[in-house]
Amino acid sequence: MTLKGWILAATALATTAIPATIPGAALAQDGEKLRFVVVSHIGSNDPNMNWLTMAMEEFGKKYPDVEAEYISTNNYSIQEHVRLLEQAIATQPDGIAVPIVSPDAFEGPLRRAIDAGIPVVAFNIADGRPEGERIPYVTYVGGDELLTGRKLGEYALSQVEAGVVPAPKRVVCASHDSAHEGLKKRCAGMREVMEAAGAQFDELFIGAEPATARNTLQSYLSANTDTNYIFTVAGWSSPWAWGVANEMGLSPDVDMEGVTVLTVDEGPVSIEGVRNNHVLATNSQGFWLQGYAPLEWLYWNVKYGYAPQQDILTGPIIITKDNADKWADLVRSVFGEEAYNQQNTW
Amino acid sequence: MRTPMRALVRSQSFGAVIGVVLMLAVFSIVDFSGWWRSQTLANVAHFSAILGLVAMGQALVIITKEIDLSVGSVYGLSGVAFITLEPQYGVAGAILAALLIAGLVGLVQGLLVVKGRLPSMIVTLGGLFTARGLIYVWTGGTVNNFSEAARSNPLTRMFGGELFGIEAAIFWMIGLCIALNIMLWGTRFGNRLLATGGAQDSAESRGVRSDHVKIATFTLCALLAGFAGIVTLADKPQTHVTLGDLMELEAIAAAVIGGCLLSGGRGSLVGAVLGAFIITSFRYELIALGAPSSWFITFVGVVLIVAVIFNQSLARRAGHSV
Repeated sequence: MTLKGWILAATALATTAIPATIPGAALAQDGEKLRFVVVSHIGSNDPNMNWLTMAMEEFGKKYPDVEAEYISTNNYSIQEHVRLLEQAIATQPDGIAVPIVSPDAFEGPLRRAIDAGIPVVAFNIADGRPEGERIPYVTYVGGDELLTGRKLGEYALSQVEAGVVPAPKRVVCASHDSAHEGLKKRCAGMREVMEAAGAQFDELFIGAEPATARNTLQSYLSANTDTNYIFTVAGWSSPWAWGVANEMGLSPDVDMEGVTVLTVDEGPVSIEGVRNNHVLATNSQGFWLQGYAPLEWLYWNVKYGYAPQQDILTGPIIITKDNADKWADLVRSVFGEEAYNQQNTW
Repeated sequence: MRTPMRALVRSQSFGAVIGVVLMLAVFSIVDFSGWWRSQTLANVAHFSAILGLVAMGQALVIITKEIDLSVGSVYGLSGVAFITLEPQYGVAGAILAALLIAGLVGLVQGLLVVKGRLPSMIVTLGGLFTARGLIYVWTGGTVNNFSEAARSNPLTRMFGGELFGIEAAIFWMIGLCIALNIMLWGTRFGNRLLATGGAQDSAESRGVRSDHVKIATFTLCALLAGFAGIVTLADKPQTHVTLGDLMELEAIAAAVIGGCLLSGGRGSLVGAVLGAFIITSFRYELIALGAPSSWFITFVGVVLIVAVIFNQSLARRAGHSV
């Protein structure tokens, strides 16, 4: 046999052998459904869950041989998230998609799952540690939170140069979850840009309870009167920040006076904040793709052994006054007109 | 002779009064210009009023030797009900419905504690989860907006507006504090409430229906929490499903700092409001001094322990067994 013949034979052997060694492949061959579990921290307390569950419905239509389940915490508790993850692993699914909210807390259960042959795709939040140290998941599908903060900060500075908003003197990053790695990175990205521009930068844990958050933010603004930028790392807290600043007479709309508000997410609150000139900019991290693509990669990994060679970034895209109308149309088409209007709490 | 000073020293809110005086003295020394600003005081007073409303209900329950862990969730559920039901029932109808929901939760919990002979901690813990779960299911993660017409409705302004530049919540809290104090110290029901918590067997032997008293108190506590939720959202209707999250702990802390003993029969509504004032003030001042806001919870813990030790020693000196 020639060398070419040996190569062809080896390839043919490999092609027939690989599916049999891949977990879940046997199930698929038997005609049983594969079962993927999405273990998320984006629960029914977070409107962004709709993006993910709607995307999963679309996945279900395209891949009827997969049963995809969505389970989530309803509060900002890493312990509860880990407990849900452990429970999901115990049911021996054919694949798991999970945001790495805390690498330390998730390392043990996920490594055990991977060792047991359950493929894992990280979504929404990656394990930020260097390659080799991080949890050996198949791939990461989601935004880059550091980049989110950085890009929003860079956009704000471009608007300073254009004479749209004042130069930052003190920036506060208002976070509702002090343990959330992704939120910390959003703040860190913004800090990087703003400190380089000569501004003071503080992170403030405001909590998720609206009255307490307002009280905390108002206290901060009263004590730090030079604050002129507020970055809320959740879209739903942007009206609180704007409201507090407005009540304090700090002129929080987008103009050359007073405070400038920046936020995140492509929900109706964030987009309408931009369209109504209350918020300078927000971002999209491609939530719909984060609900769909991890399952597709799990499917292709389980069935055919595919694994991307690098992370798959679904964002960030900066949403500004220039493109907010298009985003509003897109979100309306996903959520529906009525839900969109109801969720606009401005 | 009972001089006013002696009466104050023997009063159940004395610990909280001392706490407030000490706190104000320290804040004046470390941050005089920041603390004694009208903006600061308005901020602290406003949130103290909201927490004070919830804490007064909690104090009443603690006086009956029970506890209500559900107040934060009931506060959230009523607030969410107020916003969500407004398009269907109008502002007045939504307020009534929200209060009805709160009252119903309190009534059911009271019945379960009394008739089911179940520990209030367990029943109200169940209430905490159930009410929070209802919020999630009802809203699907997003609380609806509150229309411009509803925001400018006179009734909404009455609950959440301002009078002479002062937030309505503060007037509501003061008014209800006076009314509840009259109820507690000047009516037969109040007397029975104190007797139920102090010595239930003895009270029952004298004909006090402690079961009725406790059910009424749980209902009243939930109504106050629900009312606080409505007052909060009438003022600032942009909210989230986390409304009232962990508020039960701050309300219990405020009641205990204010002189309520978990052994029952002793407590003060004024003290509970002062406790709420202390908690809110600490949050402000820690942030003002540049401490990370996550330290706040640690300080509440320290203040709580100090307050319990102080209040217990005061109670012992007053001849109360604790």
